[in-house]
Amino acid sequence: MKEKEKAVSRRDFLKVTGGTAAGIAVTGMAWRPGEAEAAAMPKKWNETFDVVVVGSGFAGLAAAYEAKKAGASVVVLEKMRTPGGNSIINGGVVSAAGSPLEARDGIKDSPELLLKDMLAAGLNLNHLELARLVAYESNNTVQWTINELGVKYKDSLSQEGGHSVPRMYSTYNQSGSAIVTQQLEKLKEIGLIPRTQVLLKRLLRDTDGRVKGVEVREKYVFPRENSGRTKFIKAKKAVVLATGGFGNDVPFRTIQDPRLTADLESTNQPGATGEALREAFRIGCTPVQLSWIQLGPWGSPDEKGMGLNPFFAQLCCAMYGLWVDTQTGKRFVNELADRKIRADAIIRVGNKCIAFTDANGFAIGQKMLGDIMAKLMERGVVKRYDSLAAMAEAYDCPIAPLRETIANFNKAVAAGKDEEWGRYLQKNQRALDTAPYYASRLMPKVHHTMGGVNINVEAQALNVEDDKPIPGLYCAGEVTGGVHGAVRLGSCAVLDCLTFGRIAGRNAVREKAWG
Amino acid sequence: MKTDKQTDRQTALRIFFLMALVLVFAATSGGSLLAAPKKLATAKAGDCAACHGADKVLPDGHAPTAAMNGEACLGCHQKGSPLALYTKMPLSHFHQLKGITCQACHTDLNAPQELSTEQCLACHGSFETVAARTANVKPQNPHSSPHGNTYTACDLCHHQHAKSENFCAQCHNFKFVVP
Ligand SMILES: Cc1cc2nc3c(=O)[nH]c(=O)nc-3n(C[C@H](O)[C@H](O)[C@H](O)COP(=O)(O)OP(=O)(O)OC[C@H]3O[C@@H](n4cnc5c(N)ncnc54)[C@H](O)[C@@H]3O)c2cc1C
Repeated sequence: MKEKEKAVSRRDFLKVTGGTAAGIAVTGMAWRPGEAEAAAMPKKWNETFDVVVVGSGFAGLAAAYEAKKAGASVVVLEKMRTPGGNSIINGGVVSAAGSPLEARDGIKDSPELLLKDMLAAGLNLNHLELARLVAYESNNTVQWTINELGVKYKDSLSQEGGHSVPRMYSTYNQSGSAIVTQQLEKLKEIGLIPRTQVLLKRLLRDTDGRVKGVEVREKYVFPRENSGRTKFIKAKKAVVLATGGFGNDVPFRTIQDPRLTADLESTNQPGATGEALREAFRIGCTPVQLSWIQLGPWGSPDEKGMGLNPFFAQLCCAMYGLWVDTQTGKRFVNELADRKIRADAIIRVGNKCIAFTDANGFAIGQKMLGDIMAKLMERGVVKRYDSLAAMAEAYDCPIAPLRETIANFNKAVAAGKDEEWGRYLQKNQRALDTAPYYASRLMPKVHHTMGGVNINVEAQALNVEDDKPIPGLYCAGEVTGGVHGAVRLGSCAVLDCLTFGRIAGRNAVREKAWG
Repeated sequence: MKTDKQTDRQTALRIFFLMALVLVFAATSGGSLLAAPKKLATAKAGDCAACHGADKVLPDGHAPTAAMNGEACLGCHQKGSPLALYTKMPLSHFHQLKGITCQACHTDLNAPQELSTEQCLACHGSFETVAARTANVKPQNPHSSPHGNTYTACDLCHHQHAKSENFCAQCHNFKFVVP
């Protein structure tokens, strides 16, 4: 069966390309990618849906939900054995500018300020209209997850690097799974369960320029390229491409940034690879800023992947403690600078940095993160030291400059201003002086791919030939580029994915069916 | 006229190709040099030869098992002892030995279907019940994932007809021993 299908498509390919080539010779017409791609149109579709969503993370599931709710027939395709992609392993923090929690805590914020922060971190490479939409929809999006999806959040706000104020909601379990499981649940209620182990091979774009369906491999076993069986699925209205980023695709990421070799670890799920993105380019999507790839500065060499250290390094140390270079005993960066600045700084000073806090900072972490702190200690990622001297000795850090660093910081706390590095000081920041001390080693890891395909505010994929929408193709989430520019701010990806996923789903249903 | 050396070389080549052929055949037919076992639904659980034929699947000098059930195996292979069978056999064999036949899971034996997690849980208890059984496993309860229940689907780790795997190890340093 498999062989037969292959044979048929190869024969079709020869027939059509042969014909087109002859056409060129006779009429002298320009060769357009669309015509070459007609080769892939199947004689027979195995299945038909109004909307075919590829990818089952925040973006894909949001698109599927909107499309299904609007009455369309929808299928969600996922190549891995589990749904959720990077979304279901994510850290569960989401920004909302102008939220009820900010009002309660007396934090002055606005969508405009969030946009300003996004543009500053993004080095103004952001596609402004896209970024603005995400920032202005931020509170609506978070409230939608609460009111429509039933997502539960903790009661307090936190702050990642690059944000002017604490504005992040955290899911109750500190994981994106709190959102994804609700998305899956809601979809199940309306009769939609994502199909796992289905790999997108080809986006099928016809000579009229429209994307009309997909070629997939069913029962695919990641990462075996040719596993599974070929199938053709027709999308009467549209395909929504929501296949996420390529942080774990070493060949593709080193093409974009040759420094990001296999030596670097990634926080991403194993399936965060770029084959669907390559396919989008092949059929005429426009690449945007692919070489902007973010390293998470708060990774740890003492655990795999994202692990749990980011919670400690960020909440207990960047917000309430310090990051120091153990070779000098000194601070080397504003601990609340954006991720790129911090990751670059760690590498620049020689990759021997630690994050640490005192008993007070640790207690705040325990209150906010619960058993995550216990796990970090159990796994030896975070270590406890009875005195500053013991901590310094453990990391071979000179004690005198370390004491001076802390004394300077404590002066800044007393003065209410961090003159040295300009860090935002928390309202309840206390002097760092109470043993025991807690510390972890820092190691930047490949975390987010800012670039991707070019879209407009309607989530339509734009054609590389003329910047016009490619009929029948929507893209949303990390597979797109532009929202975050050079650097994505923590907690803004969830917003991006949900906002554009929903737009893509709603618009996909409104397309006129082609057959 | 051929020299002895030449004929030797030719024979050696012939043998080499023959062996290569055998190896390729073995590799394509299941990856091991043992022939793929028959999946005989009528076989008695302890009757290895019924499915495995002459293949040597038990250590030398092993007591005859044809008439045994799971209970009898435990006579030597107690839980927790160095001889425990835990992880040493495909899970389908444990099921068989406990009297859970092919038919109990696959209603249509002519076209056996994949099982859903719900089918497993129908016997093994809810997600919560299963999680409670491994509550003390360090460094993390494998049956209670922060990524939700889709990450505790049984067959992500526990395979019946293939070697089980530690699915979590893709991203974590968890050294789970998976039966
Ligand atoms: C560990 C971690 C923590 C994070 N924490 C946060 C946070 O706290 N806050 C925040 O805002 N952001 C965070 N991020 C970033 C954010 O989670 C991601 O950007 C977001 O999840 C991307 O969502 P998505 O829907 O675009 O893609 P994903 O969730 O990655 O989903 C894409 C899916 O498409 C599938 N796919 C890919 N190719 C194919 C193909 N060819 N065929 C079929 N399927 C395919 C993938 O397997 C995947 O399941 C974090 C990221 C990571 C890795």
